[in-house]
Amino acid sequence: MTLVAEQPAAAAGRVRATGAAARAARATRRYGLARTRPVASLAYVIALALAGFVITDPLQLVALLAVLFAALGLAGKLRASLPYLRVALYVGGFLAILNPLFSQGGLDVLWQAHLPLLQIRVTIQGVAFGVSTALRLSAVLIAFALYNLVLDPDDQLGIMSRFSFRSGLVVSLATRLVPVLSRDAERIADAQRSRGVELDRGRRRDRAAARIPLLSALLTQSLERAMDTAASMEARGYGRGGRTRWQPERRWRFADGATAAAAGLAVAALIGGLVAGAFHYRFYPLLDDPWAPLADPWWLLALAALATPLFVEARWRR
Amino acid sequence: MAAIATLAHVTYTYPGASKPALDDVSLAIGPAEVILLLGGSGSGKSTLLRAINGLVPHFHGGTFAGRVTVDEFDTRTARPAELAARVGLVFQDPESQAVMTTVEREIAFGLENRGIASSAIARLVEEALISLGLSGLRRAPLSTLSGGELQKVALAAVIATQPHLLLLDEPTSQLDPVSSEELLAAVRRLSEDTGATIVLAEHRVERCLHLATRVLFMEGGAIVVDADPQAFARWALAGHRELLPPVARLFARRLNGGAKAAAEAGRLPLTVKDARGMLDDVAGQLESFASPAPAREGDVVLEVRKLAVGYAPGEAVLEHIDLRLRRGERIALMGENGAGKSTLVRHFNGLARPLAGEVRLLGRPLKELSVAQAARDCALLGQNPNDYFIKDTVAEEVDYSLVQMGFAGRQRNELCSRTIVDLDLMDLLMRNPRDLSGGERTRVALAAVTCGDPALVILDEPTRGMDPLHKAELAALLRRWAANGRCVLVVTHDVEFAARVAGRVLVVGDGSLLADGPAHEVLNGSLFFSTQINRLLRHSLPGVLTEDEVTWGTSLQ
Repeated sequence: MTLVAEQPAAAAGRVRATGAAARAARATRRYGLARTRPVASLAYVIALALAGFVITDPLQLVALLAVLFAALGLAGKLRASLPYLRVALYVGGFLAILNPLFSQGGLDVLWQAHLPLLQIRVTIQGVAFGVSTALRLSAVLIAFALYNLVLDPDDQLGIMSRFSFRSGLVVSLATRLVPVLSRDAERIADAQRSRGVELDRGRRRDRAAARIPLLSALLTQSLERAMDTAASMEARGYGRGGRTRWQPERRWRFADGATAAAAGLAVAALIGGLVAGAFHYRFYPLLDDPWAPLADPWWLLALAALATPLFVEARWRR
Repeated sequence: MAAIATLAHVTYTYPGASKPALDDVSLAIGPAEVILLLGGSGSGKSTLLRAINGLVPHFHGGTFAGRVTVDEFDTRTARPAELAARVGLVFQDPESQAVMTTVEREIAFGLENRGIASSAIARLVEEALISLGLSGLRRAPLSTLSGGELQKVALAAVIATQPHLLLLDEPTSQLDPVSSEELLAAVRRLSEDTGATIVLAEHRVERCLHLATRVLFMEGGAIVVDADPQAFARWALAGHRELLPPVARLFARRLNGGAKAAAEAGRLPLTVKDARGMLDDVAGQLESFASPAPAREGDVVLEVRKLAVGYAPGEAVLEHIDLRLRRGERIALMGENGAGKSTLVRHFNGLARPLAGEVRLLGRPLKELSVAQAARDCALLGQNPNDYFIKDTVAEEVDYSLVQMGFAGRQRNELCSRTIVDLDLMDLLMRNPRDLSGGERTRVALAAVTCGDPALVILDEPTRGMDPLHKAELAALLRRWAANGRCVLVVTHDVEFAARVAGRVLVVGDGSLLADGPAHEVLNGSLFFSTQINRLLRHSLPGVLTEDEVTWGTSLQ
């Protein structure tokens, strides 16, 4: 016999000791915004998304994106956010390219063409507006990514259940369903590959067509799983009436209070700035100076507030 | 003492089914009983459990006759949610019974549903976490847990609600031996400390027969045996020996079989401890005829060099793996839940690409082949047979695989016929695979991947939820395949099955291959990764793993 390292029994014991502890530590370790109390994180994400809606100046938007990426990075979610970033890139890129082609405004013409039915007139202003729109959309999408990746679905449910437990539960179950469905789909595809089905050859259309028969297996399994979950819920007393709500005790840390306060301040500054016209950047007919809004006091206040949780959480990171 | 639950002439048929799943079942469950519920796949065990907690008929519909009462509640009028405070049910699949996404919230879910005050929930959650050793995982997302940990969470969630009656539906079917022992120890503790009544449906008798105060055996929806463990063991001697733990089978062989001998049999050992006491007088009469490990001399089917596997560079699950798998070998791959067994075998047919090292299938580097191309030479059966079913009949499933593997004409027909005979599918050809029992589904999925006559067959946890009879049939099939020149690799937690099938055992853990050698050496002397017979005889007959490798002295036969 080749005993590669040691007797299996002893080895098994050691594996359990190291494996379980490491997995437990890995599973429960949280960084940055993911450590913050859910209400504070939610307020902060709302402030970031609001900034994405309100701000129009391209340079301010770049600064906002930097804050968003920093928040993702501090939470250790940069890699996990790649699918969201891909969507932002596709949709934002599409808008950035399309807008200059169809927007006729602006005085600084870069290029024009007269086609039989269409006159194309690309201006610097049109390009700038397209880029700004793409950046805004990206900021909102990344804020959504932050919400999804940082806020535990159970925490989301906890917040929503103050208003409607059923709606919150639907959202929580749906959130759980997405990764489960994705795993099921991956497993079914692997099973089919293992019996000789070519799923990865040819053009994208061919690959998609090869996967269509797999949908029936995926759908059936999803339905069976949903039935099992429903049975489990009923067996555990769901629907009996008189439900209570439990939140695990979490100590309020300085970072939680600071994040919540900063989020509140940022929302106030954004709304105040909006009312005062601080975020109104003009693209047409000529571009405003893009640097000027960077010195606006409302903006500086909002930026400082949005950046505060990053410093606070970075300081608290162990 | 008054019964906690009673079933009176319960007959139940699922919607659309032609036969009843429960057929005139009458039963009284007393306080503090630990009932072991046995029976083949489709015998009605799960349905019986669901009838006790009211999911049958309230959730499943169908036709229900008779009466089930739990305490003073009649399940025809009381819904499962109302019974939840009295009856707790742990399902077979831990993943699909989870509702929340983190451990402590999942445990709290049932308590919240019962309307328990928030301060009390905190205490009950804490107690449940401690009782099952889950404190370190309290905030862990369920998606990061292994199957064993998930099943413990499911049990903790039910224990937290402190039901009078705990129903467990094959809770260890997906667990490794150590996790199974831990789970069953928790169940035993619960029974001893709180006097809770437990009904445990299980296939692995050797693990839990000794825990039971009463055994029920179901067949065709009816309870055919209701006895204490010793009386059940004597009944099983007369024609259902596969239901007995290996140590009981060993001592049963001292008798000449038959109902008369069974009736006259004294006490049979149900655990290694029992057997050791009884062995003292007769140990000298035992002889081993375990054959030496066969030399590894078949052609190499799969060669693995310096393999590192994992999901990201720098995060290898297993490293430095060197292996050669040969024709004619029967190999078991074992290790803890989450040790990387399934991940490793996914590299043997190209489903996963190595972080480092090389895999060669029949001499060709696997990286040059697609998974579909490798499928003709390496069949990999995953853990869920349902993943393979995309056609309406069994016949279409087999034929579809052959077409996908590129077989045509006469060869396709020959392979199809051979597979149908080999896996005994003749009676199932026109059935929808999804309508079949668990054991039958495994056979159909196995047909779908092995119909191209591959040199290497890999099965990942094929005995999950499989009853002893089907397990024995599968073991015989795998032995036959190996004898015919295939290499068979089984990933399994089931030590008894591994001992029955494998000539060679690999153990992985702690990021590497810990052991690779003949089954008689690797499984000899281990605390958990060893068989009952080995634990009993390791000092007198070292290396013996199954009762078939031992004979009693002729004077006693």
